Amino acid sequence: MFDAFPYDEWSEDVAEFWTFGGEGSTGTWILTVLGIAAMVISFWGFVQLENAKLRRQAERLRSSGALSRPGASPTV
Amino acid sequence: MISTLLPTWLAQAPPVEDVDAKVNLDSLILTEQFYFWTVVIMWLIHVGFMAYEAGAARRKNVMSTAMKNILTIAVVTPTFYYFGWYIYGCFEEGWPKDGHASPTVEGLEILGGFCQNTAPWAAQMGPNLQDHVSAVFFLAFLLFSWTTASIMSGALIERVRLSAFLILGALLGSVVWIMDAAWGWSGGGWLVTRFGFHDSIASLVVHGVAGAFTLGVLLNLGPRIGKYTTDGAARTFRGHNTHLTLMGLMLIFTGFYGFYAACLVIQSTVFPGWLNIYLSPTTLGAIAFVITIGFAGGFTGGWFASKGDPFWTLSGGLAGVISVSAGADVYHPSLAYLLAISGGMLAVYAGGVIEKKLRIDDAVGAVAVHGVCGFYGVFLVGIFAGGYPTGINNVESSFGGQLMGMLAFLPLAFLPGYFASWLLKKMNLLRVPAEVELEGLDLAEFGQDFYPEFERVPEVVIEPDGREVDAAPVLLDAYWQTNGRPTTRVGAGEERS
Repeated sequence: MFDAFPYDEWSEDVAEFWTFGGEGSTGTWILTVLGIAAMVISFWGFVQLENAKLRRQAERLRSSGALSRPGASPTV
Repeated sequence: MISTLLPTWLAQAPPVEDVDAKVNLDSLILTEQFYFWTVVIMWLIHVGFMAYEAGAARRKNVMSTAMKNILTIAVVTPTFYYFGWYIYGCFEEGWPKDGHASPTVEGLEILGGFCQNTAPWAAQMGPNLQDHVSAVFFLAFLLFSWTTASIMSGALIERVRLSAFLILGALLGSVVWIMDAAWGWSGGGWLVTRFGFHDSIASLVVHGVAGAFTLGVLLNLGPRIGKYTTDGAARTFRGHNTHLTLMGLMLIFTGFYGFYAACLVIQSTVFPGWLNIYLSPTTLGAIAFVITIGFAGGFTGGWFASKGDPFWTLSGGLAGVISVSAGADVYHPSLAYLLAISGGMLAVYAGGVIEKKLRIDDAVGAVAVHGVCGFYGVFLVGIFAGGYPTGINNVESSFGGQLMGMLAFLPLAFLPGYFASWLLKKMNLLRVPAEVELEGLDLAEFGQDFYPEFERVPEVVIEPDGREVDAAPVLLDAYWQTNGRPTTRVGAGEERS
């Protein structure tokens, strides 16, 4: 298509490299599976990390008496 | 002279095939650039949502609110890449009947095979020198998906767990909304090809569906502690920065122009001009008319219905645009203006009913603005654009067809939101502990105050009778009255004391 430089030829070389073999190849499948695994693990991590922070802070607040019942001594 | 030179010029002219190839390439690159820049502009929607919600949050919850909007991008992007886009490509007929072969329409073979191009291992879903359009088209839809999750985000602030929101946001952004888009916002969607369902700029498929999903979540999440008195009257929590909220809304409005443009289809060597998502002819100018006058009408309606309240005036603008989006490719600007005024007023009224009568604590009015006005927009098309030929089968839009879409999408959106949040609630993963909610989420999540250079002043809450009082004793009393649980039931506090 272009005669100024060998675009088509270079394109084939580049495409072969950056797609790890192209559609449906083993490389593409492995990358897809790894990506999905990272996504699932990140969800698990978001839940676990936040849960630990919230439980720690809630426990600290309860034990500190900072949220004592107005006009009464703390019961929890 | 000319007769002498003409044969020479003709001999030097490039072959027609070469010219044809270059014109095709130019057309593809123009399309590629068009969608790329709509994506850039649409980022402003998310900047806007972040500022809008952070401003509406109390000082103690600013960063936890903003972080939801940032991490929406972190979870909706991969989930949409790995399965959301595949749902859009393959579920146009409901459950895919033909495997990976999308429905092929005579004369529009370009639609055939779209499904198999949407799987994450497809050639079109990675760098591909032969395809200039698929990636940017995917990205435009991805930005729509962020928007649906962000619509829900503001309603839940100040008590939802960040991780719970991310799970629900991924479900809404990468499954629920894109399923309804496949059914009712695509060339081959069954609601379009059979019933002429018409929602050209996504009143219902984005806004209404996100609002209905959010409603389902809010029913399980419950209100913020102290939002309601034990006899059921609503208090008002004052956001920490109304200017930031209004600026956020203005950024959302700016981004909406990118959103609207990205809802159209253009490729000059394939189509004769601009098309809407159903591949019916329209123009960029037509929808620009409607969006602009839609804002004008919405602001006007919101201003008068709320008696000049700043938050509801700007939210009215959003509601006005959403109300006319479904018919944005069809409406005359004057009609859009009138309908947008009614939409802005409807949002204010619906917001009051949801907060005060139904006692659902929607912190930013998302259900009223996006949910109610999204459904209203599709309803209006049935009345004002009945008979308009929609889509590749040229099925006339009708009130019945619009009703069919509403009846399909209400449960499709509400039920997943309700049951997913119910499940998270049962696992104690939906809501932050009551003690953390009272203290503020930022200290628990991030260990710091995000306005360290400013003096802390007492937080104020506005009682139902309009009095501004110190929030601390009110909230602490509410915490103890309800055993640390939120309540919307009249007298629930007394029952538990």
